[in-house]
Amino acid sequence: MRPENYEAQRQPPSNEYELNFGPNHPGIEGNYALKVKLHGDVVLEAKADGGYLHRGFEKLMEQRLWIQNIALVPRICVPDPSPMELCYSMAVEQLCGLKVPKRARWIRVMQLELSRIAAHLFTFGGHAATTGMYSTMYWGVADRDLLLDLFEEFTGGRVYSIYNIPGGVRRELPDGFLQRVTETLDYIESRLADYDNLFFKNQVFVKRAKGVGVMSREQALAWGVTGPNLRATGLAFDVRRDDPYLVYDQLDFDIPTEENGDAWARTLVRRHELMQSIRILRQVVEALPDIHGPIRAPIPNPLAWNVPAGETYTRVESSKGELCYYVVSDGGPKPYRVHVRGPSSMHAVQVLEKLSVGSRIEDIAQTMFSLDACPPEVDR
Amino acid sequence: MSSINQIPVIEAKKGNPLARVFDELVRFCRSRSLFILHYCTGCGAIELPPAMTSRFDMERLGIQPMVSPRQADILLITGYVSIKTLKRVILTYEQMGSPKYVIGICSCTVNGGMYWQSYATAKKLDEYMPVDLYIAGCMPRPEAVIAGLQQLMDSIHAGKANSWEDYYRNYDYYLGNQQKLFGDNWQTPTDVIAEAKHYNLLSKGTLGVHTRLLEQHQQPLEALEMRLGHNLKEPTE
Ligand code: SF4
Repeated sequence: MRPENYEAQRQPPSNEYELNFGPNHPGIEGNYALKVKLHGDVVLEAKADGGYLHRGFEKLMEQRLWIQNIALVPRICVPDPSPMELCYSMAVEQLCGLKVPKRARWIRVMQLELSRIAAHLFTFGGHAATTGMYSTMYWGVADRDLLLDLFEEFTGGRVYSIYNIPGGVRRELPDGFLQRVTETLDYIESRLADYDNLFFKNQVFVKRAKGVGVMSREQALAWGVTGPNLRATGLAFDVRRDDPYLVYDQLDFDIPTEENGDAWARTLVRRHELMQSIRILRQVVEALPDIHGPIRAPIPNPLAWNVPAGETYTRVESSKGELCYYVVSDGGPKPYRVHVRGPSSMHAVQVLEKLSVGSRIEDIAQTMFSLDACPPEVDR
Repeated sequence: MSSINQIPVIEAKKGNPLARVFDELVRFCRSRSLFILHYCTGCGAIELPPAMTSRFDMERLGIQPMVSPRQADILLITGYVSIKTLKRVILTYEQMGSPKYVIGICSCTVNGGMYWQSYATAKKLDEYMPVDLYIAGCMPRPEAVIAGLQQLMDSIHAGKANSWEDYYRNYDYYLGNQQKLFGDNWQTPTDVIAEAKHYNLLSKGTLGVHTRLLEQHQQPLEALEMRLGHNLKEPTE
């Protein structure tokens, strides 16, 4: 922890040096790097250096059938893949004018919120590990695994579920599944008090995170910040409420906000969102048994599916922020153009570069993990 | 790399029963304390935290993550490697001390996987460095990762995990593939040929067309000089 009143001594400028921070570094999330210019241990300049995970998604998607892309899109954001499938499916549905059955819409909400909880637990774990609190990481990852078990049961895949297809979802829920969802939620809710004591109220963490990477609301809006990071500056904007998709307009939940805009506030917003997701899931579990009907709308032969020409823009709220797809079809069997607007490309590049300046080098990890940037999605 | 000659080489004393017992002991110890380099190249890395933490718990096998390549034994390639990453992976691999083991997790390291037609990824990992073990799957479950590591432990114990020697024996082949991807002036700070001599592994495939090309382009890498513009003196030995 830093001593009070600590100030690095001003040295002649020859003491400035450059460091490559990452890509192989535990303080960096994933395979990502920063080039930092330092004076002592104070950052003078930071330059993001991405591209280590570039796969050329937008080009790859133009070369595959509409239905094949469903298997490709979750790979864009590994910790929180479900919104990716959903957003793409929604775009195709809009192009074809498909109407998704009611039951499928509720199941999709369940999948999204389970995925959000899993992603947040994973983020807390990684964030705590950069502060040296490995128990939180061990707990967070182990608790996330319970959610992955649920995913495995109803979608067949632990991480990449590939469960949504344009028109609905792939399979019906297994017997007794909602009961198991409730049990898992109860368990996670009961653990939150422990997490509070171990991590969120822990002075080791609070002192490290408070006042680090402060961002005002105006800055956040100017830099294209969305999601929990925007809400940590006091603006209650959430796509789920302000531009509702699926059945979010029938659900009852709050949009938690914090005022300070620093690393601590961002983490707390996620902590509150976890509670809200549990609240949403409880409503879904209650409502689902009474909603009957098909789980997907009939679609043409997917291997010879010419989606009508047109363009569309869809957006959903992922655990990292606002995720949008711009899809253009020329009436052929493959997309003409797909553009992904992911939240992390703003958070990990321009925001991180600016917020790191003036902080100390060990605080870069705090800033980066509290922004919850996802490098595979930055590079795509 | 001039100082490497000063390290004494332990000659294998064939026929000495004590040496055989000693070798066996060394192999046993090696296989029971493995450090994985903390470098996540692709999306398969998301299954490593579960494999390491409480639920599946890799530590009970004596396997732990390690942050620096010089102290690590295993290089886990967790998924697709883009060309930019591959350069770093090769630098890292050459920095690791022998014996070192490479595990390719995910189908993407075997043949390109999902990204077989991508312009940005390298398709087959074993063209660029020798691989001890592949764990296929997209992505392999933590149980599969742990089973793979156990298999690696067994083959280290049996003395079969020797792919690192292959890098020295066939350096020309690997360097050729690297040059094809990164251009003729590709070079790394590690003098692999000197190391091959040190380990007595210099063989027919070590030197060839590609290493001659390397010699043409090779410049002594001076630390720090490139970025800062300072006229630093050569570090004295
Ligand atoms: S095999 Fe699958 S999970 Fe592994 S890196 Fe490739 S796409 Fe990702």
